Amino acid sequence: MFEPDEELVGRVVRQLRRPVTVDANLDARVMEQIARLPARRAGGATRATWHWLTRPRTVRLSPLSALAIAAVFVAVVLSRPDRLSHPASTGAREFSFVVVAPRAATVSLVGDFNDWDAARTPMQRAGKQASVWTAVLPLTPGRYRYAFLVDGVSWLADPAAPAARDDEFGTPSSVVTVGGS
Amino acid sequence: MTVYWRRLGSGLVAATLVAGTAAAQRPDSRLERLDSITRPIVAALVDSARAAALPTEPLVQRALEGATKRATADRIVAAVRGLALDLGHARHALGPTASPPELTAAAAALRAGAPAATLTELRRVRRASLIVPLAVLTDLVASGVPVDSAAAAVLSLAANARDTDLVEFRRAVERDIALGAPPASATAAAVANAAVQVNAGARQQRPGRP
Repeated sequence: MFEPDEELVGRVVRQLRRPVTVDANLDARVMEQIARLPARRAGGATRATWHWLTRPRTVRLSPLSALAIAAVFVAVVLSRPDRLSHPASTGAREFSFVVVAPRAATVSLVGDFNDWDAARTPMQRAGKQASVWTAVLPLTPGRYRYAFLVDGVSWLADPAAPAARDDEFGTPSSVVTVGGS
Repeated sequence: MTVYWRRLGSGLVAATLVAGTAAAQRPDSRLERLDSITRPIVAALVDSARAAALPTEPLVQRALEGATKRATADRIVAAVRGLALDLGHARHALGPTASPPELTAAAAALRAGAPAATLTELRRVRRASLIVPLAVLTDLVASGVPVDSAAAAVLSLAANARDTDLVEFRRAVERDIALGAPPASATAAAVANAAVQVNAGARQQRPGRP
């Protein structure tokens, strides 16, 4: 039989009885290692994605990053192409424009409300053979200059509206004013 | 990680500033309808107005009006420049709280010959929007009413009259002038009638027509 060496046993016992100093950061290091382990995908990718999307978390953002995000937002808003369009849809009132042009083939309404673009607001005949042309536009409060363009060449002011006094281009224009009360 | 986010944030800020500056300097695409001589001058005028916090849309519209009417470059530039000056004077008269449509209407009134002091007085007496009072003032002068008479008439009504009252007042003046009344007399008569109606609260909403 094996006879234990008393001296060996004594050394082992002394080692075991020595107090062990545990690193104070041991717990933190262990949890960090655990967190690095790949997560189980028990419910599949969809469930994991849903869990990732719905799990509340704290987002830490530096002031610089917040500034960057705000700047991106402002840049996107400022770069919208329709930002400068004049008539907004909010608070707009519909206005009827009417002109008599018996021999006209086409009549366009052009003004501050449509970038003076003759293709934007073609007027419609009131009837098949009628000489009365009409157009209806929503306008927000403001003062707008406008005119009728007959057959793409002749300018006509609105006889039922005030004339534009500040007309520097030598052709007649009219003024429509939209109020709020 | 922190360094990474810090660098990313710095990059985003720099890229955004560059993009924003480029966007601000990019001329309005609608100005491409102008010829190559007129376009940069008008774009510079628009930029100057923007820097001065003046509304730029009226300037763009005036330039587009000139382009559609096939006006010469000189005429377009003169019209836009004149309007920019009028807008600046209008803001000086109405104060920094004036809205862009109010400034546009005030610029037209100044161009018609209305004194800046009248505009300032209008601002003082009327809490509601000044768009219609200013437009009525401009239209009356365009109809031949002496500036002093038109200004006094609008000022006397502006405090209490609604926009529809003022438009009806303008129509009454224009109707009497068309029937042969002297402009100043037509204005005085219409003011008396309008004042009675405003005070009596006899207001009627009219359908939208210029």
